[in-house]
Amino acid sequence: MNIDDATAAANDRLADRDDMIVCVNVDKFYGDFQALKGVTATIKEGEVAVVCGPSGSGKSTWIRCINRLEVHQGGDIVVDGIELTNDLRNIEKIRSEVGMVFQQFNLFPHLTVLDNITLAPIWVRKKPRAEAESMARALLERVGIPEQAEKFPGQLSGGQQQRVAIARSLAMEPRVMLFDEPTSALDPEMIKEVLDVMKELARSGITMMVVTHEMGFAREVADRIMFMEGGEIVEVGTPEHFFTNPTEDRTKLFLSQIL
Amino acid sequence: MQEEDPISVALKQEEDAAPNEAPRLSVLQWLRSNLFSNWANAILTLLGALAAFLMLRGVLNFVFSENREWVAVRTNLRALMTLSYPESQYVRVWVALGFVVGLAGLSAGIWSDWGGLPIRRLATWFMGIGGLIALCVVVREPSVLMDSEGKALSTLEGSLQRESFGAAMADRVDWWIAALVLFTVGAVLWSRYSSVQRRHVELPITSIVYVGIGIAILTLWVVPYGHYAFVDGTYIAESGTTVAFSTQMPWTVMWVLLGLGFLVGRFLRSSQYVGMSKTGSNLLWLICPFALFWVVLRDPALDYGHVMSTDLPMGLAFGLLGAGALWLLTRSDIGEAGRIAATLLLIFAIFNWVAAFFGWYPMLQKARISFLLLAFAALLAPNFIGDIAKRRQLVLGWVGVMALVHYLATMINTPSTVDLQSDEFLGGLGLTLFVAVIVVVLSFPLGVLLALGRTSKFPIFRMLSTSYIEIIRGVPLISVLIFFSVMVPLFLPDGMELAELAAVLTGYTLFSAAYLAENVRGGLQSITKGQYEAADAIGLTSAQRTGFIVLPQALTVSIPQLVGQVISSFKETSLLAIIGLFDFLRVANSVIPAQSEFMGVKREGILVVAMIYFFFNFIISKYSQRLERRVGLGER
Repeated sequence: MNIDDATAAANDRLADRDDMIVCVNVDKFYGDFQALKGVTATIKEGEVAVVCGPSGSGKSTWIRCINRLEVHQGGDIVVDGIELTNDLRNIEKIRSEVGMVFQQFNLFPHLTVLDNITLAPIWVRKKPRAEAESMARALLERVGIPEQAEKFPGQLSGGQQQRVAIARSLAMEPRVMLFDEPTSALDPEMIKEVLDVMKELARSGITMMVVTHEMGFAREVADRIMFMEGGEIVEVGTPEHFFTNPTEDRTKLFLSQIL
Repeated sequence: MQEEDPISVALKQEEDAAPNEAPRLSVLQWLRSNLFSNWANAILTLLGALAAFLMLRGVLNFVFSENREWVAVRTNLRALMTLSYPESQYVRVWVALGFVVGLAGLSAGIWSDWGGLPIRRLATWFMGIGGLIALCVVVREPSVLMDSEGKALSTLEGSLQRESFGAAMADRVDWWIAALVLFTVGAVLWSRYSSVQRRHVELPITSIVYVGIGIAILTLWVVPYGHYAFVDGTYIAESGTTVAFSTQMPWTVMWVLLGLGFLVGRFLRSSQYVGMSKTGSNLLWLICPFALFWVVLRDPALDYGHVMSTDLPMGLAFGLLGAGALWLLTRSDIGEAGRIAATLLLIFAIFNWVAAFFGWYPMLQKARISFLLLAFAALLAPNFIGDIAKRRQLVLGWVGVMALVHYLATMINTPSTVDLQSDEFLGGLGLTLFVAVIVVVLSFPLGVLLALGRTSKFPIFRMLSTSYIEIIRGVPLISVLIFFSVMVPLFLPDGMELAELAAVLTGYTLFSAAYLAENVRGGLQSITKGQYEAADAIGLTSAQRTGFIVLPQALTVSIPQLVGQVISSFKETSLLAIIGLFDFLRVANSVIPAQSEFMGVKREGILVVAMIYFFFNFIISKYSQRLERRVGLGER
C-alpha cells in the first residue's frame, strides 16, 4: 500500500465518525498581529490529532481557542455540536466536556493531589465526595502514582505533577482532551512517563488534540498530524505521509530541523 | 495516639531530623565564630553588650526606684480594665472573660499539634531565667537611703545617698534565693537528661499546662494581687467577700476554666469530631464578641410583650418563609428562573435601603438586613442544587443564620439595664479590645470584597472600589474618626440616631477595610494566570474559582501584611481618646494622674499599658508565624 493510499484509508476510516471539533476560518488577533489566519479543520470523535510547527506558529493559540481560554474574533468553532459564542452557558458546557493539560501543569498548590482531582467533580458535576474520591484514586492508579494522593503538588516531581494534571482533567470524564505542549517543561528523564500515560489514553479511544514537539509520540499514536506555520495549517496527513513524503517545502524544512 | 494531619507529621519529621545532622558547637566555639570572628565584630559585640547593659540597668532602676508609685496602677486596675462599668455588675465582666478564657483553652486544645516539650529545653529556660535574675540583681543600683520621714537622703553636693553595694546585695537575698533555686533545678535537669538515650525525653504538653495553671492558682492565694482600696491614707488588699468583689475566686475560676477548656479540646482532638469542633470553635470566636457585649455586658431589659408581638413572629417568618423559598430555589429543575428570582430579590433588598434613607416606607432595620441576607442566600442557591442532603444544608444554614441575626438584633435594640455612672458604657482595656475585635472581624470581609472589586473585570466595580480605597487611604484615621463622630449624625435622616461608639466603629471599620483590601490585592496579584486558566478549564464558575482557588492562595500569601494590619488596628484604637472615648491608654495617661491620691503619676501606668499592648501583639505575631509555617508547606 503506498503512502497516499494510507492517508486516504485513514480519512475513510474517520469519515463515518461524528465530528467532535469543527473549526471554520478561525481568526485571532493580538492587537495588529494576526495569530490565526483562517484556520479550518475537523477533528473526528476518537481521533488523535497532533499539531506541530515552529514557535509562534499559532498552535497553542488555536488549541486555547477551543475551550475559550482565548477568544477568537472570526470564524466558527463548534465542539460536540455546541457552538462557542459569548454565551456563558455554552462556554461552561464545553469546558466541562473538554479537558486541558497545560505546559506548566497549573496544579493548585494549596490543595492536596486528591483535592486537586476531586474539586471539579464535586462542585461542577455535583458528585458525592466519597464517589469522587474513589474515582480520583482509580485515576491516580491509572496514571501510575496512587501513593501520592495525600501529598501537595510542590512535593512531587515535574513528571508526577503532569500526570496529576492529566488525572485532574480526566476526573471530569471529558469527551475531548487538549494537550498544550505537555512535556516541554519537563526534564528529559520525565518525558517518557508522561508520554506513556498519553499513549495509554490515546489507545482508550478518547478524542485528543495534542500540541507537541515529540515526533516519536506523533509517529506512534497520531491518526493525523497537522503542521502549522504563520497562523495557518500548512499540511495535514497521516504520520506515514507526514514523515516520509511531505509535500510542502515548509514542512520539509521543519522536519529537517527537528529530526 | 491520635491521628495527625500530614502537615504536622511532616513538620515533626523535619524537626526531629535536624538536631541529629548538624554538628554541635560548644559555647566557646559558637562565641568565637559568631561574635568575635574578627576585630570589627569583637568591637561591635562589646559595644552592643554595653548598650544592652545600660538599657537593662536603666529599666531596673526605673522599675525599682523608691519614687515609683506602683500602687497607683494596682489601685486602679479596675479603671484600667473597664473604667466606668458599675462594680455591682462585675460578675458580668467575669462571665464574659470566663467564656473567652474557656474558649481559648478549648481552641488551644483542639489546634495544638505539639505533643511535648523536651526536658532539656525546659532546663535551659530554667537556667537562663535564673541567670537573668542574678544578672539583674547585680546590675541594679543600690537603693537610696531614706530618712525617718520617708524622704530620700542626699549628700551636700546634691546627689542621692545610696547604701553600700554589699548591703544592697544582702537586702536582695530573696532574689538571690529565687535565682539560685531556678538555676539549680535547671542544671540538675540538664545533667540528668544529657545522655544520648535521654536527650530527647519530652514532658507531655498536658502536664505542663496543668502544672502551669496550678502554679498560677497557687500564687493567687499567696500573693494578694488584684484590687486594692484606698482607706484612710493607706492601701489595703480587699478581702474577697462576694464573687463580684474578690479577685482571688474569679481568677481561680478563670484558670480552672482555661484548664478544663484545654482538657475538653484535647479530648475532641483525639475523637472523631475533630473537624466539626474546629469549625465550631471558629464560629464561636466569630460570634462571641457581639454576643458577650450586647447580651452579657449590657444585660438588655427585654420587653416580652414586644418580643412576642413583633420580634419572635418576624424571626420565625423570615426563617420559615426564607427556608421555603430556598427549598424551591434548589429544585433541580429550577434552571434560569432561580437566577432571575435571586437577582430580583437582591434589587428589592437594595431598594429597601434606598427607601429607608429617603424615608419612603417604614421597615424595621432587621427586616432590611434579613432581606439582604436572603438575597445572598438565593444567589448561593445554585451551588446547593442536587440531592436532599445538600438542599437541607442550605435551608438549615439559613434557619441558623436567621435565629442568630434576629436574636442579636433584638438584644442590640433593647436598652441596657446596667446602671451607668457616666455616658461611657465601657472604657479601658475592655473598650480597646472590644473596638479592635469588632473592627477586625467586620473589616476583614469588607476588605476582601473591596480587593476583589478592584481586580474585577467589571469596570463599575473596579471604579467604585478603587476610588473608595484611594479616598480612604488618602485621609488620616483621626479625621475619619472625627468625621464619623461629629459630622455623620448631622447627615442622618430625622429620627435616626447613632451612638457615638457605633459611629466610631463604622468609621474605623471602613478605614481599616481599605488598608486590608490593599494587602489582599497584593496577594491576588501574586496568583499566576495559569491558576485562573486551570480553574476555568476544569469548568469552575467564576465564584467557585475565586472561593476555592484564588482567595485561599491570595490570603495565604498576604498573611504577614494582614497580621500587620490587625496589629496596627489594635494599637491605633488609642486614637479613640481624641474623640472623647476613654480607651486603655487614656485611662493611664489622663484618668489616673487626675486622681487626688495619685496626682501626676503617669509613667507607671503608661509602662504597664505598653506591656499589655505588647503582650497581645506578641501573641498575635507568634500565632501568625505558626500559621505561615503551617500553610506554607503546600507551597514548596
